[in-house]
Amino acid sequence: MAKVTIKVNGKNQTRAVEDRMLLVDFLRDELRLTGTHVGCDTSQCGCCTVHVDGRAVKSCTMLAAQANGANVVTIEGLAKGKQLHPIQRAFSECHGLQCGFCTPGMIMATAGLLKDNPNPTDEQIYKGLEGNLCRCTGYINIVKAVKMSAKLLRGRKH
Amino acid sequence: MSAKAHHNHGPVGRVEDARLVTGAGTFAADWNVPGQLHGTFVRSDRAHAEIVAVDTGRALKHPGVKAVITGADAVRAGYVKPMHTLTFPGKGGMQTRAPERPVLAHGGVHFVGEAVALVVAETAEAAQDAAELVEIKYRDLPAVVSPEEALATGAPQLHENVPGNLALEVEVGDAAAVEAALARAAHVTRLKVEVTRVAPNPMEPRAYIASYDARADSYTLHVCCQGITTLRRHLSAYTGVPEEKLNFEVGDVGGGFGQRTPAYPEHGALMLAAKQTGRPVRWVSTRSEGIACDTHGRANVINGALALDREGRFTAMRLDWVNDMGAYLSPASMGHIRNTTTCMTGVYRIPALYATYRVALTSTNPVSSYRGAGRPDIAYTVERLVSQAAAELKMDAAELRRRNFIPPEAFPYKTPTGSTYESADLPGLLEKALKLADWKGYAKRRAQTEKAGKLRGIGIATVIENTGAGQAAKDEVELELDAAGNLTVYTMAKSQGHGHETTFATIVADALGVPFERVHLKQCAPEKQHRLQGNHTGGSRSTVGAGSVCHLAAQKLIEHGRAAAALDLGVEPSQVEYADGAYRSKESKRTFRLGDLARSKPVSVVAEGKFGSTFPNGCHIAEVEIDPGTGAAEIASYAAVDDLGVVINHGVVEGQLHGGVAMGAGQIFGEHVVYDRGSGQLLTGSFMDYYMPRAGLVPAIRGAEHPTASKVSPLGVKGVGESGCTGSLPAVANAVMDALAPLGVGHIDMPLTPARIWHAMQDARKGR
Amino acid sequence: MYSLSYVKPKSLKDAAAFLAKNPEAKLLSGGMTLIPTLKARLARPTHIVDIAGLKELRGVAAKGGKLVVGAGTRHHDVASSTVVRKAIPALAGLAAEIGDPQVRNRGTIGGSLANNDPAADYPAAVLGLAATVVTTQRSIAADDYFQGLFATALREGEVIVRVEFPLPKRAAYSKFHHPASGYAMAGVFVAQAANGARVAVTGAGPGVFRWKAAESALAKSFKPEALEGLALDSSNFNNDIHADREYRANLVRVMAKRAVAKLAGRK
Repeated sequence: MAKVTIKVNGKNQTRAVEDRMLLVDFLRDELRLTGTHVGCDTSQCGCCTVHVDGRAVKSCTMLAAQANGANVVTIEGLAKGKQLHPIQRAFSECHGLQCGFCTPGMIMATAGLLKDNPNPTDEQIYKGLEGNLCRCTGYINIVKAVKMSAKLLRGRKH
Repeated sequence: MSAKAHHNHGPVGRVEDARLVTGAGTFAADWNVPGQLHGTFVRSDRAHAEIVAVDTGRALKHPGVKAVITGADAVRAGYVKPMHTLTFPGKGGMQTRAPERPVLAHGGVHFVGEAVALVVAETAEAAQDAAELVEIKYRDLPAVVSPEEALATGAPQLHENVPGNLALEVEVGDAAAVEAALARAAHVTRLKVEVTRVAPNPMEPRAYIASYDARADSYTLHVCCQGITTLRRHLSAYTGVPEEKLNFEVGDVGGGFGQRTPAYPEHGALMLAAKQTGRPVRWVSTRSEGIACDTHGRANVINGALALDREGRFTAMRLDWVNDMGAYLSPASMGHIRNTTTCMTGVYRIPALYATYRVALTSTNPVSSYRGAGRPDIAYTVERLVSQAAAELKMDAAELRRRNFIPPEAFPYKTPTGSTYESADLPGLLEKALKLADWKGYAKRRAQTEKAGKLRGIGIATVIENTGAGQAAKDEVELELDAAGNLTVYTMAKSQGHGHETTFATIVADALGVPFERVHLKQCAPEKQHRLQGNHTGGSRSTVGAGSVCHLAAQKLIEHGRAAAALDLGVEPSQVEYADGAYRSKESKRTFRLGDLARSKPVSVVAEGKFGSTFPNGCHIAEVEIDPGTGAAEIASYAAVDDLGVVINHGVVEGQLHGGVAMGAGQIFGEHVVYDRGSGQLLTGSFMDYYMPRAGLVPAIRGAEHPTASKVSPLGVKGVGESGCTGSLPAVANAVMDALAPLGVGHIDMPLTPARIWHAMQDARKGR
Repeated sequence: MYSLSYVKPKSLKDAAAFLAKNPEAKLLSGGMTLIPTLKARLARPTHIVDIAGLKELRGVAAKGGKLVVGAGTRHHDVASSTVVRKAIPALAGLAAEIGDPQVRNRGTIGGSLANNDPAADYPAAVLGLAATVVTTQRSIAADDYFQGLFATALREGEVIVRVEFPLPKRAAYSKFHHPASGYAMAGVFVAQAANGARVAVTGAGPGVFRWKAAESALAKSFKPEALEGLALDSSNFNNDIHADREYRANLVRVMAKRAVAKLAGRK
């Protein structure tokens, strides 16, 4: 068993967990933060994307123990109270989601992408979302949502 | 009703988005119930074998293990005979031959991934660890994964009661008329095409919890599904447990695409485990399990012949199908025959039709409905034949279509296979699409592409499909009103991403003239499951069916309140008018608000309806560019004009089209479930090997609507869920063939992977 | 995943000592291959030894005509490093093509080299640039380091510390992505240095290899056309449902030409 303390969405969480526990299971099973999803077992789908120390990672491909001492942000940590994060707003307004299963991962990947590149081209968005699969939208409105997110976030900074 | 009449548009974005973008959705694996145990399935690692012995001894001794359920338990319980829906009259009176399938394999296994045992333990980890300790002794038998090889003489016999692995043979149409027409045709185009086996892969892996209530002798299943009614019927037939003893909980569903319709063996196995252990048993599938044993789609091989006269008019078509159903008949596999027959003529006048179907069993995962369930298959076949004919006759592909369209004045049009297309304006649709795609400017774009060292092709598809209808006796919707004027709508339809909460609330809010925010949808609510009837969501039917009944329920509520309103207003009921959420009368200055009806207690009405098929149709035009060095093809442009009747929510409908187009493009460019021909091993068992569409596959879609009226339902809507892939499968393939034709490449089958395209180019160059 | 113990040593020395005592322990860096392997129950180590955070393995520096990249440096950090972009832009470009953004945020160069997946990208750069793999025990020339399918010159308990890349005159990488996994179906790294050209190929065969015929041809004429019609032994190339040997051989030729073409006109 490993004793881990992980700051999740701003709050320190300490648990004793099996060494083999994945970060995604820590989030879902220990903290009941079920917005982070598991859509595959080979690290392709990106449904489990969260931010660890400010970088987008696949929480299914990391042990909880590896995140000991880290700062983790999940989809549940994006909105400020009832006010949606601009990316969340953009996904909804652009109809960039249908079933919503891939959406938390898409949004977290988008946040990661826009951090590195606040004004991406279409091609850069395709590359930025290479690690995320969606089966419903055909991605067209997701790309639109990423662009709108970029615009909203740029506006916020001024 | 026109789109403009919708004055109560919902918010920007859908109702369901608020929870889904914040991670607050409740998907199947998000459920946990007190006292739950965890199940892991032990699955067959081979394609065809006799099970000689199953030893659970070591697994049962593993710490935390509570039970190991096996095929013997399944047989003892009688959970052995899944229902099937291949109930068509067979050729020469042949009856469908359906093998039994115990919910856990007993006696033999028939495909890689088939569940053989279920290990149940206190934790998922303990169950997984112990699953490796279940010892199964097999005696290997020869496997056959190709449906044509399975039907050939000398093929391994897979099931005792299915001689020659032929489950059913069906014929449709007039063989003699077609033979005669083929004999005197000026030109006959012949093509053998394969519509490949693909994995639907909704992003949410399956997850279930089964609980048993000993006192009531009933079960509750937490599931991800497309609606509980069809699932319940299937599961009751499979297990013998009466429908009234089967209860379901279903929250958000992460995609379905047909795959989440049927009852699966896992449902039954978990029920056995719950009953035996007395505790709820939870199972969460992995993706690899899903690719191996969640039903696959398509999997048809078609030999087609299209006869034309001297003027390029179609005179006859013959299609000979081999349908690969996998190892067992799934309960939801009828679409392969029904839907391909319903729209066999496509959008054309073809006087003589004949088709044969040979349904083969193979050593592979069962095949069932997948977005379109036969509709994309027939559209692909017909549209490939038509474009191939145009290429052979050196005719413009649009002109050949124009010449053969069913003319607008011929609607309603009765097809030679007995269906009646309600309405369409095919010439108008085509002209709009040609304009949208700038068909005339194509030569210039092609020259530009060639200058850049690439090949360019353009492909067109004009398609029609049957949507709506459904097997339930009727669709029922309950509408409940409370004193505050809030409305709760109960349906048996179940969104898997379709946005019913937004669309259906819009329908009700529009009909009642109340603010959208007042209307709340509950789908498959447990308290209504045994009271309301209705179709599951599939076959692009829910807005046509349940959506229309939402409208009828609102009207019924208005009528229901008229007498009380009249009494309150002090006028005759005939003097009462209803508008914008209130009853008024010229004879009274007062108003009686809708909510006033429920002042003393909530008011509820149940409406019902049963609607036939609607026939959305569309013209899709794709352009592709091919890198001759690598064979990699990319979509350069995509235009789609669709006749979807009345559209309730344009954003939602556009989203359905986008998703469908991308799914079709994915199948054309790469998706493919592949089994090893010798061993029957699954070679595309994870996303490492199973290609999935990614962002950028379809960069943009120029879309337009070209509605014609539909009177099938009171809303005038047509189904849309499957239109996208029905159009894109042939449009994209035709574009690739068009790009390759100048090199001398004939038809090549999907998936049109870079390697396949490159090889086709090499073969053509070498004259192979 | 089988049950295992997670350990996090404080130094490289501790890590090496732990490995020496526990032969069935496995090193964990970014974990981008190891964790999926463990999840699929394809490996059963007693321990995993997490060296990802070790400072000794971090860092990128250009010094003495070399670019030095610490083994624990993540792909993203290589891709976005101004030092790398200036010294060997093709290396930064290659790192930006590995996997996807989430993978690049975790995966490390040391992990990639230790694993030596036949379709990984880094081996092409390391071999193409004639880099040196520096371990806790010695320095290994790239030509000696890669030994075929998942095989390397690393001994039990030996840990990669850093990779030293001599600066080429110019270099380029062209990759054709596997349609499903995104790995290299064929990736060709072409480098021109004072002592000649090197062409390293990944994805096509059972391990990274040098296409020596191409190297000789480019030494004479550094142009795409120089590669036309050259001998390429594809007899041991991967042959699977995604691509047969013939197609992979074609990809190698096309990617090599495109890599050279990228450099046309560049000094």
